[in-house]
Parts: sequence; structure tokens; C-alpha cells
Amino acid sequence: MRGLRAPAVVVALVLGLALTPGGLVLPSVGSAHALLIRATPHVQSSTAIAPSQVALEFSQAVTLVPRSLEVLATDGSLVSRPPTLSRDGRVVRVSLRQIPRGAYTVRWRELSSDGHVGSGVFTFGVAVPAPPPTDAVGASGLTWRDDAARWAAFAALAVLLGPLVLRLVVLRGARLDGRVATAFHAATVAGAFLAVDVGILAFVLRAENALQLSVVDLLYGDLSPFAEETRFGVAFLVTMVGFGAVACLAILAWALDRPVLLWPALGLGILLASGFSLSGHQATEPNSTVATQLADWLHLVAASVWAGGVLALALVVWPLAPALRRTAFLGFSRIAVVLVGVLVLAGAYLAIVRLPDVADLWETSYGRLLLLKIAIVCVALAWGGIHHAFVRPRLERGETPGAGVGRSLLGESAVAMAVLLVAAVLVNGSPPPVETTRTSASGTAALP
Amino acid sequence: MAAPRPEIAHWLTATVLLCFGLMLLSEAIVGRAVFRRRTWRAYLFPLLAVVGGIFLWLIAALSTFSTMHLLAHAAWAQAAMIAGGIQLALVRGKLTHAAWSLVTAGALLLTGASFLIHEQNSWLFSRSAFLHHAIGWVLVAGALFPIGEALRPRRAVWTAGFAVTFLVVAVLLYADRDIAPIFGRLGDVGGAAAP
Repeated sequence: MRGLRAPAVVVALVLGLALTPGGLVLPSVGSAHALLIRATPHVQSSTAIAPSQVALEFSQAVTLVPRSLEVLATDGSLVSRPPTLSRDGRVVRVSLRQIPRGAYTVRWRELSSDGHVGSGVFTFGVAVPAPPPTDAVGASGLTWRDDAARWAAFAALAVLLGPLVLRLVVLRGARLDGRVATAFHAATVAGAFLAVDVGILAFVLRAENALQLSVVDLLYGDLSPFAEETRFGVAFLVTMVGFGAVACLAILAWALDRPVLLWPALGLGILLASGFSLSGHQATEPNSTVATQLADWLHLVAASVWAGGVLALALVVWPLAPALRRTAFLGFSRIAVVLVGVLVLAGAYLAIVRLPDVADLWETSYGRLLLLKIAIVCVALAWGGIHHAFVRPRLERGETPGAGVGRSLLGESAVAMAVLLVAAVLVNGSPPPVETTRTSASGTAALP
Repeated sequence: MAAPRPEIAHWLTATVLLCFGLMLLSEAIVGRAVFRRRTWRAYLFPLLAVVGGIFLWLIAALSTFSTMHLLAHAAWAQAAMIAGGIQLALVRGKLTHAAWSLVTAGALLLTGASFLIHEQNSWLFSRSAFLHHAIGWVLVAGALFPIGEALRPRRAVWTAGFAVTFLVVAVLLYADRDIAPIFGRLGDVGGAAAP
């Protein structure tokens, strides 16, 4: 089979076909399930004067069910009267008792005309900023599930970036046989899809902490306040589409034998890692700056490339390409020195910003967790150092590395994954408050 | 974020599926050898499937009004990308074994199952419910054609059946108006207050 004779024609046709539907969809009637289209007061808004009622307008008629609409004060007390339904069935209202200055939570449930029970939660403030929906009354804090999802997200990033750097930078120009090339492509596609799926899981879990619904009701839970009114939600939407595009590039690179497409995939993957930094503590704490966000992004990218690169050495190069072991190991060793340097410098800077008082290291749970992370990082660095000191000279002398080195690499990557696990717990934790004149931006929350 | 009405998203998808169906049907009618005399024609279907995956990711991003819709669109996006990638590799000759068609069958089964799980009402509850059930089962049945291709490769009936699957799903999606009545009436509780 010949290659594409006129790729431009195909690209034009694909784009044309993708855009053509626009002209065919002008007539429109009706909508799907009943969606919340307007809330008064607005979702996550702040009002100067206490409202006398809360009204929710839906896209179609709804039926009231028990606890259809409740407004709660921060102490959990109910400040709303029983709800009423408008004549057309589309607007649910509750009148409010006189409410003082403060933050309030609105929880709603409605039976849609298609039989589905939709649910949602949002907040508003009276003379104070509205807290993020994740801080709604009744919301649980982060749990071990959020930590596990965060760890899986870090691991996915490592599986995506590590093999890509190994393939494109370390093994640049090397002749890869079909199986090895396919394994690298598979790792990239798997990493991208894993990043998307874990991101969805983390997002839904985080929303569920606030929605507090059963599994069945959660299926029709309204996630839009979390997606549109929080930093982690916006970051989630952007990274979901972005990692989808990375997967698309990786699939095309493999199927069309165009490895050059992996470069934009790598660039996009590194760029998308910033989603974690732009929505986590380094962006939302009161003393956050552009420098802390940049340092966090570099820290995460360096750690992901290092952990994922070692994993790819152990699982792809060692078993599938013995002839490339020497080149890959020596090349990655050179890069690893730079990665570790970036990792340590950025991590040290962030630790100083978050814990300016040295005593915080052992007096706060965040500090103790950071100490644990540093200890495991030291184990990983020592492991890498042993490889650097003992394996590298042997390879430079032209000796053939054995299977034992492969197993040792696997051990190093396992320790690196443990570092990512502690990092995930650390990121989901709360650093001790830092005195500052700046105030935290409203509507922000750390990425789950 | 301003999301398009759900049926508009469905009609957009229907148009893409209609293109798929017509392309595949023309290949079934004239035969693979004639259809692929111009090499680029062979790439159209799989490339559209892969690139269409990005379109589905965008729809997923606009579907945060319910968890179910977010999950379903994400599943369809991944199914389209993987099946398209495998088809592309088959066209390129990178993969040759007929059993790879089972990946396409798996993608159709996953998509059909998503439609069926996605709808919790019975067939005659409303037009939307009817269409969700019909589309789900058409896709599940359509998975038989790639399975046939894997077992008895290069028979026109598999290509034609595969093409007709897309055409039928496209027509069903064009008929989608979620609160519209089914067969002239609404379900007993569905759409009671519809304008």
C-alpha cells in the first residue's frame, strides 16, 4: 500500500466534513433532561443585600420531590421555607427568612419529565464572597479516594511523558524495530487516555464530595458549577480535551508512521501538566505567585519524566531492545542529572514558600508528610546514584548490562511511583496558613 | 459555558455518521478495489473516526450538566479514536490480521451499551427513550458485521451491513427531539407539561 498521495486533500475533506453539519442544524426544538438554566441569586455570586427568595429556572417542566430546594446557612440550619412551583412547572422558588451577612448553600433536586432525578448544589454570599461549591454545607473533605485519583493522575502523566522523552530525545536517530516502536506508541496512547479517564474520575469524586448523592443519583448530578466556577473544574475541562488531542496525535503517529507527530504530543503533554499547577496550592494559596506556579510545573514535569523514563527503560527497552540498552541507559543518565537538579531546586523553593518556619516541618502534618516525601526521594536518588556510579562506567567500557540491571531499574521506578503517591497526599493536604496581606481569590480550590 | 442544545450535538454527530455510512456504502457498492483506486479514499473513514474523537471530547466538555452524559461521551470518544486508529493501520498495511476487526466490533458494542445504560426509561416512555433504545440495539447488532469480517474476511455483505448500521443510526439521531411525543402521544408521565 502506498502512502498518502495527497494528504492535504484528505485533511481538507476531513475538516470540511467536520464543519459541514453547521448548516444542517439550524432548526431546533426542545431539549434533553431538565437543566438548570438560571438561578437567582446567580450560582457562586455575591449580593450586597440579602435576597428574599431563591428561584431556579429549568429548561423544561419539573416535578417537586421531597427536599426539592433548600437553602442552608454555614451552620447547617435551614433558612428557606417549603418550595413552590410556577404554573408552567419550570421555576422552583423558596422564600427565605431574614438572613444575615454570610455564605449560603443551595441544594436542589427535581424530577424531570423524562423520569430522571437531577440534583445539584451551589453557593452564594451575602456581603461576602461565595465559597467554592466544594465548600458547600454538607460537603465532606478530601478522602483517600481523592488521594488515589491524584496519584493515578501523576502516574498517568509519568507514563505519557517518560516514554515520549526517552523515544524522542534519548533514542533520537536510533533505529527502532516494530515491536519497540509500537510499545512506545502504546505507552503514549495509554498514558493520554489514562490521564483523561483519571481526570474524569478525580473530577467526579471531588464533585461527589459536595453533592453527597447515591451512585444512581450521582449519574444525573449537575457537575457544571464545579466545572465552570472552580479552577480545578476549568483545568479539568481543558486537560480532558487536551489529553484527548495528545492521544489523537499518538494514534496518528503510529498508524501513519509519522513519528514527527509525537513532538507536538510531547509539547502539548508538558503544557497540559500546568493544569495541575494552575489549580493547586501553588496557585490558590494566599502567597502564591507566578514563580510558585512555574516552580510547581517544572517540579511536576521533571518528576514525571524521571519516573516515567525509568519505567520505560525497565519495561520497554530492557526486555524488548537489548541492543539499545547501552544507548538508552547512558543517554537517560545524562538527562536524569538535569531532571534531578530541576526537581530538587524547584521542590526546595516551594518547601520554603509553604513552610517558611523550619519548625513547621515537624510541628504540622503537612511538614511531616513533606519530610516523608523527602526521605523517599532520597532513597530514589540514592538508587539512581548507584546506577550512575556503578552501572554507567561498566556500560561506558562496553560491557553488556544483564537482566539484573533491568530489575534494579524496575525497583527504582517503583520507588519513584511511591514518591508520586506521597506527593499526591501532600497536594491534597492543606499547608499551614501563611500570614499575608493578600487574600485568596474566591471560587478556587485545589485540583483533586 | 454556553453549551449547544443536546439535539444539536446529536444532529452534528448524525451528519458525521451519515458521511461515514455513505462512504462505506459506496465502497460496498463499487467494490474495495475500485473504491481504493484513489488511495486517499481509503483513509477517509478511519481519519474521520480518529479526528471525530476530538469532536466528541469537546462535546464531553460541554456535557457537565450530568455525570452520565460526561461519562458516555468520553467513552464514545475513546472508542472512536481506538477503532479509527486500528482501521487506519489496517488500511496502511501496518496490521494485516483480519482479527483486528474485533476492535471495531468492541467499539460498537461499547457505544451501543453506553446508549442503553444511558437511557433509564422504557421504550415507549418518550421519543428520546425510544431512540436511545433503538440506537443502542442497532449498534449492538451492528457489531456482528466486524465480527463477520474477522471470521470470513473480504465479503461485501460485512462492509454493506457496517455501512447500513451507520446510516440507520444517523437517521435515528436526526429524529431526536427529547421531549417530543412517541407515535403521537407522550408516555403517561413523560413530558406532561411540555409546551
